[in-house]
Amino acid sequence: MAEVELRNLRKDWDTATAVDDVSIKIENGEFLAILGPSGCGKSTTLFMLAGVYLPTSGDIMFDGARVNDVEARLRNVGIVFQSYALYPNMSVLQNILFPTRFQKTDDAQARAHEMAELVQITDLLGRRPSELSGGQQQRVALARALIKRPNLLLLDEPLSNLDATLRLSMRAEIRRITRELGVTTILVTHDQLEATTMADRVMCMNKGRIEQVGSAADLYLRPDTLFVAGFIGSPPINLIPPDRDVLSLPDRCHTLGLRPEALRVSEVGMPATVLSVEPMGREAMMTVDTPLGDLRFIEATAQPKYRPRDLLRLTFDNADTILFDAKGQRIPEAHATLKETAYA
Amino acid sequence: MTPSNTRQATNALLFLGPACLFLVCLLLIPIIVDLVVAFTDMSQTVRVGEFTTDQFGKLVKANPEALLGFELRGSFYRALSLSAVYVVCTLAIFNVTFALILALTTTALPDWLGGLYRAIWLMPRMAPSVVYGLLWLWVVDPTDRGLLNQILLAFGLDPINMKLDAPVTLIVFANGFIGASLGMLILTSSIRSIPQHLFYAARADGAGSLSITRHIVLPALRWPLSYITVFQSLSLLVSFEYIFLIMGPARSTMTMSMLAYTKTLAPGIGSGQYAYGAAITLILIGIGMVSALLLYRLTNMKRLLTRPRIEVQ
Amino acid sequence: MAQIDWDQLAAQSRRHRLIKNSCLILFLTLVSVPVILPFFWVVVISFSARTGGVESAILWRACAVLVPAVLAYGVAHLTLPRIAHRLLAGAGILGLTALGLWLSVGAELHLNNYRFLINANLIEDIRGAGTVGGQFPWVWTAFGNSLLVALCSTVMKVTVATLAGYYISRFQFRGRNGFLQGLLIIEVFHPWMLTIPIFLVIYWVGLLNTLAGPILVLTAIGLPFFIFIMKGFFDAVPWDIEMSAMADGATRRQAFHMVVLPQVRPGLIAVGVLGFITGWEEYVFVTALRTGNSYWVMSTYLYYVAEDVMGVDYGLVAAVSVFYMLPSLVLYLACQRYLTQMKLGGIKG
Repeated sequence: MAEVELRNLRKDWDTATAVDDVSIKIENGEFLAILGPSGCGKSTTLFMLAGVYLPTSGDIMFDGARVNDVEARLRNVGIVFQSYALYPNMSVLQNILFPTRFQKTDDAQARAHEMAELVQITDLLGRRPSELSGGQQQRVALARALIKRPNLLLLDEPLSNLDATLRLSMRAEIRRITRELGVTTILVTHDQLEATTMADRVMCMNKGRIEQVGSAADLYLRPDTLFVAGFIGSPPINLIPPDRDVLSLPDRCHTLGLRPEALRVSEVGMPATVLSVEPMGREAMMTVDTPLGDLRFIEATAQPKYRPRDLLRLTFDNADTILFDAKGQRIPEAHATLKETAYA
Repeated sequence: MTPSNTRQATNALLFLGPACLFLVCLLLIPIIVDLVVAFTDMSQTVRVGEFTTDQFGKLVKANPEALLGFELRGSFYRALSLSAVYVVCTLAIFNVTFALILALTTTALPDWLGGLYRAIWLMPRMAPSVVYGLLWLWVVDPTDRGLLNQILLAFGLDPINMKLDAPVTLIVFANGFIGASLGMLILTSSIRSIPQHLFYAARADGAGSLSITRHIVLPALRWPLSYITVFQSLSLLVSFEYIFLIMGPARSTMTMSMLAYTKTLAPGIGSGQYAYGAAITLILIGIGMVSALLLYRLTNMKRLLTRPRIEVQ
Repeated sequence: MAQIDWDQLAAQSRRHRLIKNSCLILFLTLVSVPVILPFFWVVVISFSARTGGVESAILWRACAVLVPAVLAYGVAHLTLPRIAHRLLAGAGILGLTALGLWLSVGAELHLNNYRFLINANLIEDIRGAGTVGGQFPWVWTAFGNSLLVALCSTVMKVTVATLAGYYISRFQFRGRNGFLQGLLIIEVFHPWMLTIPIFLVIYWVGLLNTLAGPILVLTAIGLPFFIFIMKGFFDAVPWDIEMSAMADGATRRQAFHMVVLPQVRPGLIAVGVLGFITGWEEYVFVTALRTGNSYWVMSTYLYYVAEDVMGVDYGLVAAVSVFYMLPSLVLYLACQRYLTQMKLGGIKG
């Protein structure tokens, strides 16, 4: 197991910078998720950790030693890919055993069966990858990544190719396995739910830079930047330019963030006209016209009470407002309050 | 006829008609012509006097003690064995083995560098055949003007006359320098179509370059390699252009296709024994049919015959 | 678990990477030199040789300048990460190379060997009137004929292969399976194999000694192969765009040339380049399908120039060779990236 640290890591392609000044320390046995939209540099970071891309500058440290120049095959890192990358010409067992060819392993067979048991594929060992379902291939890939007891387990969008129900169970499964083995794990994903449910900490990236590192609650409740606020949460947060006639807030506030679920119907509040209603199953999302502008608002019911053009009154807790300055940085410990004028 | 049927017919005529015309007139009909002419006495006058099996009599003679009841005549036997040596050597050294080595090494380098070496190896194929033949003639020039001999002299070795002393080696190299590039291209594109993630996974699993080649790359090259082997052996067997341009009608490199060419159409020396040439060609056609059946087995019929998804014409 | 010595592993990796890359480059350079050196040699001869013989010292002197230059650029490319720096280094090395060449061999270079381009009766002047082929044409006549043969056969080949490739890729018709399998079999019958019967066919239809003969045969060379190549390119065009073109009101023929054809441009270029180069270099059929010297093309021109004045004027032969291979090499280098996009049709993978 290893403690991993990235120091000012940078990767330039010929025409663009994929990863820009990324620094983070990952504790031994920690589960970190790298979250971001496609093209944000998260996979590039992962491949640099694996040793298949070479950083342009900066350091990758394993247990305090610089490993930039260490080849992938010597890093003792396990990877699981979105496409699973199973070797098509080998059986499941041969796939799992493949890494042991390059390491002195006396108990390779025993370990392979142990791994197969861990990921619950003992009855598939004789098959070819092409005869397996997506979920089964995923488990084989996991067993292959784990058999050499890696210092670091890297998961590159491992659940993206699975259907929704399977994804749910694999999420728990991967979490169980990594806990059981105590291996340091880095998960790359664009799915915020995957990141927040599986990881101890989430690192949110955009355009090659780290936007924020923190727990799921940190990212949701105290997003450091406008990007994180907008990226985390579904349906997305309301981001509005504040109208100082109806709101009192600090001068340097440039954007007001208000989660749809922070709004609630109340006797006293600002008037709102329903513009549209979108039933989402457990709840319904409405767009309402208020003195603050058009807002998304969640009504927690499967049977929406309101229809377009209905009038209602809405309010929110001041503590739920998130304020950002002109640079898109959150203004800490600052909140907005509705003025009396908003109630008219 | 319904309008849709008419449209189908005109479409077929428009799209497929030209190709059919060329394939029938310049490939199918010649095959049939050859089949007929091989059993005639056609010579310089291009007239058929009588139908006869004489031409095959020039190739084989009856011998009740031989295994199949006939034995090959000297010149034909020599052409046949020479063809075999030339095809097998060129194929084994260049068109398959060296093509594989080139594909493996150039794909292991950064793309621009690998592409540079591939471009160099494609040059002989792209240069006109007469120029290429001329270059070889100058390189192996028996005097000390020849490039090869200059290099040999520089290393303190004796000059050699390849055309005289090692004619088969010469044509193997001359054809091999060209032949390696086709296999190299096909194999390079096959290596490229292996998913990149497989390489990453193998490297993270601890595999070095040699293991990756053995466990990831070579298994993926099985079908392309078989294809190259069959297709290129046939191309080599029927090609005589470079042999003729470098060696002329020398007896030392008179392969089967050279024999047919020099007895008929070769400029200056062809003697117009068309029926004789046709008989040799017929043997080549027979070998071609066998190769076709082999290629047939290497083809992914399911993918080749996938039904189109738009049904209207 | 034992403590891992990462620093030692890093050193080992660096060493390994260096050794691997050096070995690969060394190997490829060594095997590529014999391929490229003769081409370079003939270029040097064409610009330096004087009547009578070949002065190869110039070749080695030029190599002595060029080899270090190529090596220096290789090192610069490997060590400089920025494109701007690489370009700068490349320009610098190019300048130094030009200077070095000028100093080492500049005095020996001349254009006299290329006088055949402006002197119509050069060969006769050198050899007297009694040349092998009777009277030699001016080189531009042969050049024009070659261009005509190559261009006509290319246009026909591209057209025929594209139409057929599209049809067998996209249309369902009776006998489609049989046609595809038949094409697969006929693919093995290279016209070289059928030189004699093709000669007879061309003779019987009366096209012997006309340029139409080689043009038609050249169109047929590799035609099944090119049809499969085009089919591969058409197979890769998404069905959706064709379906949406039809939903937008186009007929299939309109969809073909307005929507699908632009998608296979790389295929058209690849087949076109290969077709042109085949037509440009053709030797076997242009000689087989003529009796006497009814027409001249570049390949026969060079062949007889080499035969007639060989041993007398190497420089002239080299200059004709360079002039002859220039168009196909330039075309090849310009369109090289399209050639590597070709995929073999139908092979198991």
